[in-house]
Amino acid sequence: MNGTLQRMRNIGISAHIDSGKTTLTERILYYCKKIHRIHEVKGKEGGGATMDYMELERERGITITSATTNVTWNDHSINIIDTPGHVDFTIEVERSLRVLDGAILVLCSVGGVQSQTLTVDKQLKRYNVPAIAFVNKLDRIGANPFKVKDQINDKLGRRAALLQVPVGLEDKFQGLVDLIRMKAYYFDGPNGELVREEEIPPELEDLAWQYREELLDAVSLFSDEVTEAILEDRVTEGMLLQAIRKGTISREFTPVLMGSAYRNKGVQLLLDAVVNYLPDPSEVENIALDLDQEEKPVILKADPTLPCVSYAFKLEEGPYGQLTYIRIYQGSLRKGDELYNTRSKQKFKVGRVVRMHADHMEDIEGAVAGDIAALFGVDCASGDTICSPGLNYAMTSIYVPEPVISLAIEASDKLSADRLAKALNRFTKEDPTFRVYIDPESKQTIIQGMGELHLDVYVERMKREYRVEVVTGRPQVAYREAITARADFDYTHKKQTGGAGQFGRVIGYIEPFDGQYEFVNEVKGGHIPREFIPSCDKGFQAMLKKGQLIGSPIIGLRVVLTDGQFHPVDSSDIAFQMAAQGAFKQAYKKAKPQILEPIMKVVVETPSEFSGNVFGSLNQRRGIIVSSIEDGSYSRIEAEVPLSEMFGYSTVLRSMTQGKAEFTMEFLKYSRLPASLAEQLMEEHRQKLEAGDKQ
Amino acid sequence: MVKKILYARSPIKTLEKNLRGGFGPGHLGVFASRKGVGKTACLVQIALDRLFEDKPVIHVSYASRVDYIISWYEELFKKLASRENLKSEMEVHDRVVRNRVILNFRQEGMKTEQVLKSIEALLGPGNFAARTIIVDGFNFYLPCAEDLAQFKKFAVDRQLEFWFSCSLKGEDPLFDDQGLPFVLKDYLSSLDIIITLEHDNGRVRLNLVKDHDQISSKKLRLELDPQTLLLTRI
Repeated sequence: MNGTLQRMRNIGISAHIDSGKTTLTERILYYCKKIHRIHEVKGKEGGGATMDYMELERERGITITSATTNVTWNDHSINIIDTPGHVDFTIEVERSLRVLDGAILVLCSVGGVQSQTLTVDKQLKRYNVPAIAFVNKLDRIGANPFKVKDQINDKLGRRAALLQVPVGLEDKFQGLVDLIRMKAYYFDGPNGELVREEEIPPELEDLAWQYREELLDAVSLFSDEVTEAILEDRVTEGMLLQAIRKGTISREFTPVLMGSAYRNKGVQLLLDAVVNYLPDPSEVENIALDLDQEEKPVILKADPTLPCVSYAFKLEEGPYGQLTYIRIYQGSLRKGDELYNTRSKQKFKVGRVVRMHADHMEDIEGAVAGDIAALFGVDCASGDTICSPGLNYAMTSIYVPEPVISLAIEASDKLSADRLAKALNRFTKEDPTFRVYIDPESKQTIIQGMGELHLDVYVERMKREYRVEVVTGRPQVAYREAITARADFDYTHKKQTGGAGQFGRVIGYIEPFDGQYEFVNEVKGGHIPREFIPSCDKGFQAMLKKGQLIGSPIIGLRVVLTDGQFHPVDSSDIAFQMAAQGAFKQAYKKAKPQILEPIMKVVVETPSEFSGNVFGSLNQRRGIIVSSIEDGSYSRIEAEVPLSEMFGYSTVLRSMTQGKAEFTMEFLKYSRLPASLAEQLMEEHRQKLEAGDKQ
Repeated sequence: MVKKILYARSPIKTLEKNLRGGFGPGHLGVFASRKGVGKTACLVQIALDRLFEDKPVIHVSYASRVDYIISWYEELFKKLASRENLKSEMEVHDRVVRNRVILNFRQEGMKTEQVLKSIEALLGPGNFAARTIIVDGFNFYLPCAEDLAQFKKFAVDRQLEFWFSCSLKGEDPLFDDQGLPFVLKDYLSSLDIIITLEHDNGRVRLNLVKDHDQISSKKLRLELDPQTLLLTRI
């Protein structure tokens, strides 16, 4: 069993847009598939490599873009996991990075490290993913892999060294010199499938030895054996592989490979490197949180005999129903096993288990720790943790941030309405930060999310994947209300005129609180019978949904109930709920409530020449510029800006910087809305209420 | 009210009162000492002094991390707030953050021209009305007479005050017999104020060694508490 684990890799391909990720992925699939099904590929190849990628995907019936694709290389099973290149969907990014054990960082040999590369690189670092770099497009004019290697060192702050040097560059790019074996490699055949080994061309000897020395220098840090061997001049291939592997897995070293995926050069050597240097699942430490012990971290062991812990990281709607992609971290699962979803607290039986290949799916009996598989017909959401019954672990904290923006949507015609419902159902399952509800007043469907772009993408997906044309309203910011002072209450709810009476009295105070809501019961001597305490709590909670300023939810409030009174006959659950509600109304205004607005952490990356404009644009938007870091010709500006001011910012930024700047934003905190704006909102709310009354 | 109390008690004001020509728009000042004596603490307290008066500040630093700089501010803010028994601490803190921008230049040897351009961008299009610029980590050991002349001209033109830190290194002696750091002697024409920090029996004393036209080692009635790193009058 152990042998299997060591021959398993779960990798992602991370790249800047336009650096050739798609072509590279496609070539990887081609070369790997070729080993198994040479005829099939050749038979369908026909038109050749000039085909557009999307077309290619459609024609070949392969799913390069599926959540994972399993390929085999040199007797190793490699799961390629699709990683979103953007950073706006923190949850989605987190999920896909979470299941990677290693990554290929693709860079363009002309553009080198660009601002988006920094973002992608940061993601990898944040999730401790070991990486190897692939400098692509060596056939392009201006290609310079040496410069890119230096940038990886300087700009990304990685310790990187070349494992190869090119034989020729730009239109003269022919092949690669491997600095470990000290041999030259050429890629023959119509699709570069035949790898030919030759001696190093004499004119490249010096260059090769020079960079080999640099490589030895870098990796000697990870192996005493190599250090000694260098002195005695007896470095072997095996030693070097070991040392590079060790450095890569500990994330202290980044091997740099190169080639041109488009010209079919260098991809096979890259695959060798994936197998040689990226970790197998047992070499990566994974941690789960024990929900029974206040999310205490537990280290998981990639041991198939232990109870199962797995993570549903992606859902896909397939022709046969919902497909749930899972990564198994510990234990194993088999068809017919009973498993437990720790979020929904439901048990279910494992039905069909499949492995996804580029061109088909394969039914398997089960899967073991380290592997990635897909399950059919499991009712769950992505991000759920699935365990053997008896365990109650979560792979990520169950805390989900509250959405900060909402948008009213409507299907443009009746036909679309059904499909819209389907789409919304699916998206909410996939992404817990995406929510849907029907506004009881306007009867509109409201979607909520983490930012404008976040919702935009879902609207776009409705069109693309579900063919639903939707009409959207103006995005609305999710305001909150909070009190700023302590206020006492003493309220009696009394209705004792004929029939069954109602009586309840509550005394206490409300005060600001750091969390969302807390209810403290300090009633002594049974002045309020114990069974009615939850009724009071319920009554107060009902009032939190709509604040009295602008009807927004109230956060950061503690209710302390100190005393009260009851009536042996007339007191009831509903009477105390009513009393609590009355008390809340009484105290709320006195507690100096204010309106809070969501503040976003905005990061703009721009060529420094535009930083003045960017500063200006952020300032205009009530933003606080926290810092600006200048690195060469680029600036990275960090600011805190109210969400309500950020609508349409991407367009503004694009036109201001000739499309050269990018920005990301994420929710940071709630903070007080300036008085003048608060007035305006309250006035609007008043008018809305009055209009409602008239109707 | 809060501000006024702080204002009256501020050791920074004491410092300024001690300067013959005062300190203000168009002036360049330097705190010089070996590493780890307390230059950054002095700079941040000058910045906080201005921030407490709602005057925006730009903090320029070279090759240090932004979160590191922010933590300096946080720490000293907390200590000042507790020393002065500051009420509505959160509110003051909000204003401090709002009025402070950190400009961090990662590359060593970043051209002064570029640094000034960035400050200009913030002041002009950025609409950030700073009058005080803090410059931490500038390397005086590289030939920089021209750079300092540029800073000086910029300060005069834009009516800004600049406070620098100068990290002294190498073997003793670092100072001439008037107490001037050797490394700064070539730049006296651009620098208006030079203050050196010196360990003295477990305290850190501040010496005014250049006060506009006058070169003289004058012990200021100020010291840096080695525990809290706060400036205090003596």
